[in-house]
Amino acid sequence: QPLVGGQAAELQSKVVPSKQILHSDNMEMEPETMETKSVTDYFSKLHMGSLVYSCTSKRK
Amino acid sequence: FGVTVGPFCHRCRMEASCLELALEGERLCKAGDCRAGVSFFEAAVQVGTEDLRTLSAIYSQLGNAYFYLHEYAKALEYHHHDLTLARTIGDLLGEAKASGNLGNTLKVLGKFEEAIVCCQRHLDISRELNDKVGEARALYNLGNVYHSKGKNVANAGTHDPGELPDDVKNSLQKAAKYYEENLSIVTELSDRAAQGRAFGNLGNTHYLLGNFRSAVLAHEQRLLIAREFGDRSAERRAYSNLGNAYIFLGEFETAAEYYRRTLQLARQLKDRAVEAQACYSLGNTYTLLQDYEKAIDYHLKHLVIAQELHDKIGEGRACWSLGNAYTALGNHDQAIHFAERHLEISREVGDRSGELTARLNLSDLQMVLGLSYSTNNSMMAESHAVEKNLNGGRPRGRRYSMENMELMKLTPEKVPNWN
Repeated sequence: QPLVGGQAAELQSKVVPSKQILHSDNMEMEPETMETKSVTDYFSKLHMGSLVYSCTSKRK
Repeated sequence: FGVTVGPFCHRCRMEASCLELALEGERLCKAGDCRAGVSFFEAAVQVGTEDLRTLSAIYSQLGNAYFYLHEYAKALEYHHHDLTLARTIGDLLGEAKASGNLGNTLKVLGKFEEAIVCCQRHLDISRELNDKVGEARALYNLGNVYHSKGKNVANAGTHDPGELPDDVKNSLQKAAKYYEENLSIVTELSDRAAQGRAFGNLGNTHYLLGNFRSAVLAHEQRLLIAREFGDRSAERRAYSNLGNAYIFLGEFETAAEYYRRTLQLARQLKDRAVEAQACYSLGNTYTLLQDYEKAIDYHLKHLVIAQELHDKIGEGRACWSLGNAYTALGNHDQAIHFAERHLEISREVGDRSGELTARLNLSDLQMVLGLSYSTNNSMMAESHAVEKNLNGGRPRGRRYSMENMELMKLTPEKVPNWN
């Protein structure tokens, strides 16, 4: 078939990947930062003091 | 005088036990074992404490642990408890932190408007308390929410970066503004790690906006900081993002160089999913460079890993790409083999658009081979039927791209950062 060669060339010329496929979804984000709390932040001397106070006062 | 009942009263023993359990939870989470940490925090909640600040810290850490475990509904619940508690005891700094965490969680759940309200509250309180560190962190979070909001709407359509509807552009421009504001504060504070994060996400925002030169500049800064810290994951991310930007600048050789570095690091880090993505990107880049042998080599590597990871979508993409590359080389037997495989997989995963693409490729290949390739004779008729269904009865031009294929994200697991 004389057409086949031309069709093959036409077919080959169609093989152009869209940049879209690279853009797909592979953008890489940086991690989120979460705010942190610790029980030791709040477990202040004041709280320890009040605990010890309530402890000793209950034992009297 | 009364009888002594042991060295401590019942309440003190309870408080001590709650505190010990919570401390063990903290230790485990810091060590990266969130699952075990959660058990200890939940046990601490069961024991209970009369100290609301301690309870607030436990709720906050439970929320974060669930966030890192990707259990966002639970994360939301605990950050919400923390916020309520912080407000009850009038702890303004605690309220700011809880609002920020709640905002980040809402963002992941796609509730952008609520997320903005919470992150804005984090920002307002930080400014009120003159807390520069908190202010910078809130600005970064806000940038992330607007970036996600923009990307979310953009993904609903199929545009190249830079071709965006107004609302998307608006969100992304806001994101860029917040990252810039964050950068000016963290630069003042000499916080290099925070600068690295902001540069990375600012680069990605510029990329989506189509400002590829600005994207390159930001990612180059990110790369410098990653190297300073010896953070190879961040370095790999920067290479990959630089590769993407250079593709759209039409500088394919440079893009290939960055993707090669991505691949090298992915292998060093033993991350198969990321390695697959790098091979896929390289395959596509060599196709753009019209070096089809190299393209095939990388697409085959991608195919092997996709099969290994049972990633059907990835496998389908690989077969489609391979079919294309073999067609370009004039190797029609291999082209047909992969086009058939692509058709099979598209059917398997119920991807109608991929199925249509595969059918059209096969019928074109058949035509080229002068119909000497024996296959299902009704293929052309079937193709038209599928095409009609997809386009509401109006046939359209053939498209040799995967624009409409549903792509599965292959994102590596985030490493929790408790510091």
